[in-house]
Amino acid sequence: MLEFHQVHKTYTTPQGPLNVLDNVSLRLAAGQSLALMGESGSGKSTLLHLAAGLDLPDQGTVSFENQNVASLPEPTRARLRREQLGLVFQQFHLVPSLTVIDNLRLQARLAKRDDADWTNYLIERLGLHGMEKRYPEQLSGGQQQRLAIGRALAPRPPLLLADELTGNLDETTAGEVLELLLSLVRETQCALLIVTHSPQVAAPLDRCLRLSHGNLLEAAP
Amino acid sequence: MIRVLSTLLSHYRRHPGQLIMLLLGLWVASALWSGIQAINATARDSYARADALFDTQLDQLERRDGTPFSRAEYHALRQAGLPVSPMLEGEIITQDGTRLTLIGIDPLTLSSDNALAQANTSASLSDFLTPPWQTRVAPDTLAALEIARENASAATPTLADGKTLPPLVLAPALPPDTLIMDIAAAARLLESGDQLTRIVAAPGALAEAPPGLTLTRATTLASPGQLTESFHLNLTALGLLAWVVGLFIVQAALGLALEQRLGMLRTLRVLGVSGRSLVLALSLELFLLGLFGALAGIASGVWLARSLLPDVAATLNSLYGAGVGQELNLPWHYWVGGLAVSLAGLLLAGSGVLWRAARLNMLELGQMQAWRSGYRRQLSLMSIAGALALSSALALYGWLHFQSPGDGLVAGFGLIAALLLASALLLPPFLALVLKVLARLARRRPLIHWALADMQLQLPRLSLAMMALLIALATNLGVGSMVGGFRLTFLDWLDQRLVAPLYLNAPTEQYANIDAWLADRQEVFERLLTRRSDATLQAATTPEGSRSLGTPIELYGITPGESLTPHWPLLATQQDRSSAWAAFSDGAIFINEQLATAENLSPGDRLTLSAPGANETLTIAAIYPDYGNPSGQVLMASPQLAARFDAPPSSMGLVLSDDADVDTLRTALRERFDLGSDALSDQREIKRIATEIFERTFTITRALNVLTLAVAALALLASLLTQARSRRQQLAPLWALGVPRALLAQLNLAQLSGAALATGLLAIPLGIAITWGLVAIINVAAFGWRLPLYLFPGQMAVTLATAVGVALLAAALPTLRFWRASPRALLAEEANQ
Repeated sequence: MLEFHQVHKTYTTPQGPLNVLDNVSLRLAAGQSLALMGESGSGKSTLLHLAAGLDLPDQGTVSFENQNVASLPEPTRARLRREQLGLVFQQFHLVPSLTVIDNLRLQARLAKRDDADWTNYLIERLGLHGMEKRYPEQLSGGQQQRLAIGRALAPRPPLLLADELTGNLDETTAGEVLELLLSLVRETQCALLIVTHSPQVAAPLDRCLRLSHGNLLEAAP
Repeated sequence: MIRVLSTLLSHYRRHPGQLIMLLLGLWVASALWSGIQAINATARDSYARADALFDTQLDQLERRDGTPFSRAEYHALRQAGLPVSPMLEGEIITQDGTRLTLIGIDPLTLSSDNALAQANTSASLSDFLTPPWQTRVAPDTLAALEIARENASAATPTLADGKTLPPLVLAPALPPDTLIMDIAAAARLLESGDQLTRIVAAPGALAEAPPGLTLTRATTLASPGQLTESFHLNLTALGLLAWVVGLFIVQAALGLALEQRLGMLRTLRVLGVSGRSLVLALSLELFLLGLFGALAGIASGVWLARSLLPDVAATLNSLYGAGVGQELNLPWHYWVGGLAVSLAGLLLAGSGVLWRAARLNMLELGQMQAWRSGYRRQLSLMSIAGALALSSALALYGWLHFQSPGDGLVAGFGLIAALLLASALLLPPFLALVLKVLARLARRRPLIHWALADMQLQLPRLSLAMMALLIALATNLGVGSMVGGFRLTFLDWLDQRLVAPLYLNAPTEQYANIDAWLADRQEVFERLLTRRSDATLQAATTPEGSRSLGTPIELYGITPGESLTPHWPLLATQQDRSSAWAAFSDGAIFINEQLATAENLSPGDRLTLSAPGANETLTIAAIYPDYGNPSGQVLMASPQLAARFDAPPSSMGLVLSDDADVDTLRTALRERFDLGSDALSDQREIKRIATEIFERTFTITRALNVLTLAVAALALLASLLTQARSRRQQLAPLWALGVPRALLAQLNLAQLSGAALATGLLAIPLGIAITWGLVAIINVAAFGWRLPLYLFPGQMAVTLATAVGVALLAAALPTLRFWRASPRALLAEEANQ
């Protein structure tokens, strides 16, 4: 489903070029879950951004369903994100101008896959029932992250990408959110790539890789 | 304190754009306001100097037909024991073509209370009275004489005709473009022989006018300051509008600077800075910025005034005959006042910031929820304040409804101001409501739904700029329609009044011979002789009773006939048009709209007019429009005017047959009656001059209008630029969710142009209301005439296009920056959110 082949990524900084990814290769099969660990600044988020087509590699290829993402024009990459990917960010990135229900359905509507039954089911599962007309700032941090997960899963994407999913949550809430995410991922049978620095988040996943100095290593969570 | 202040100011080091916008707003507001005040101050100074001289300080004796006196007549009056003084007035032309007024006086007989007589005490009277005489001149007239101030003393400038002026002596109290000298020296320069223009006396020195003369009391003469009051009020209103719109920019920039510094303020409070110290530091920051912006604004305002003054002076001269110096003359209070108004404006715009800083909660700052409910409260308050302003407008309208048509200039401006304020205040609640309804309707279209919901979120930051845009657009449309309507009416009126292709201005005594000669010419179809004289409107008899008035008026005689009667415009008649003209030919009178408005007269009322040797009571048969005339005028048939008031001829219109050779007739008239080159005027030439004067009159109005709109566009640009960064942070997640950047950029433009279009749509009825206020209330009160309300669909379309254009222009730069941002930059925004 998702494949990185000998990917290089370098950023220009005032201190000189910064080699973030150096000859990185990985594969993620349909329905598989993968945790990507590493220290701050190790390039985890860059790898996630490349996977989502938000950024492009300097060398090598990132393929989704055997399509080279870099070869796609910008509107096609946007459609790929809209229809095939679910993205969950550490800072939630809910749209402050939309209510809970409108935020939840936003990506599904953009992907023209809005399903009222599925949305209602998600609302129940996310524990947001009765809060549909609230605005994001009227929710707690955990509720906001659950809503962000719901928004990503609403169009039933084949691949879910999550960046530091629990980074802004306390330990108990983080556990609840992770449990909910994994349960929903199992239900929808989508593949999952989580960037995290937390061994607790990585532990339940199928595989775990560690990024260090731009290189990817197999690791135990 | 200094450390707190420098910490606060460090924000602008990171965000120089906000500092630039803040200073720009202050500069623009202060420049436009102080520029207009500089013009007003200079004009008022000129009026004060003119007032202090002759016109309103002395009683005047004149011949009823306006012809000059002879010295023998003056001597006869003196021999009869009357305390009168001679005066000679004329025009001289300088080498650069400037026309200056030359006044010759006799200081020995002139009232010692007069400003000139007082001015003479400082100089030797014999130098003034004896050759080579002296020319008294104000310093701001020296430029016309091409003399530098340092070389002015005793200079003897040469005029266009080669004559030289007596040695100059500076007299700052004199009005501009006016020269004063002994009557003997003036007679030599004007080649007036033994003629005198008028004879003056100290106020009240003469109990009555000597036989055959008209006595005009000083108290009945309106000073230029009184006549032009409405013009300056108009200018002040436009200046105030520009000032308010400029302050919108300041408010928007200050509001954003505060919002972005809330974290910093909270940290400072947590670190132990007291709330009072924080407010004090913010006030100090405001003061420093204000001082800088105001000084730059005042300097630019003086420059602006200097550029506009020649047009304003020409306008005041053509409209009211009021002389205004071409050089700025600014009293000390102008500078202090300009600074005070700018700082007061800044305090007004910054009061919200200071209030929020004073109520700063260290723990709950910046929370979206508090902000959202705060904005809802703000919308409610705006709705209430808007409703109150609208009620005030309605109350003022009701009050004006019960006043005489000429009353209520200030109330008229108040009504327009209340309407503008009400509309501006109601705009954000209105837009919020529209967006809410549309968002509900567009729920199934996710991007449109998002765009509408997002616009609701942007509204608080944009509302001030939108309010400024609404005010500027409505004023632009209102004033534009008024000027456009006035132009149509005026040109139409000129066509109706100027029916003859050729007009003759000959010496009075020649008209009888010319008329007899023209009567035999085949090509002359009709001769339209006009007569002119002055009289006093002693009393008016209306259905409510009789009133004593004592108002000086003009008497004007026309020749009703086949050419003139069908075209001459009438506003109101006692019965119908043909009855009015029949009555007119039989001796009834028409009065101009100015007189009807000022004295509340209607057709059917009777007026008692007095002039030396004549006292007539006549019926008003109709009221006619008389645009551009500041005086009340009574119109009579020429033969009636000659018979009843012995009025001399003043001009003659020649209606010619279609095959007439105008040039041959013109030459024949000139040769036969030895007429000067300017004695015959072409109708087209008169229209051209009149239209030119008209256009010049509204130059400054148009200039200020365009400037106000430009300031509003700047306010919108300022708002958009200052929030461009936070906008990108809003748009980046959407891009990450799969909305193409091009679509987001288009949506961004559509959001803003949609809001601007709604604002433009609201500006149209508001603009029409302003036009109505201007033509039906303010013009009537200021000038005495009411204009028909013309609406221009083209101008409305331009208003809408301007609204959208301004919004697109303002949104283009931030959108372009978003469009051109690299994916990495967007990701950085997204990560920083």
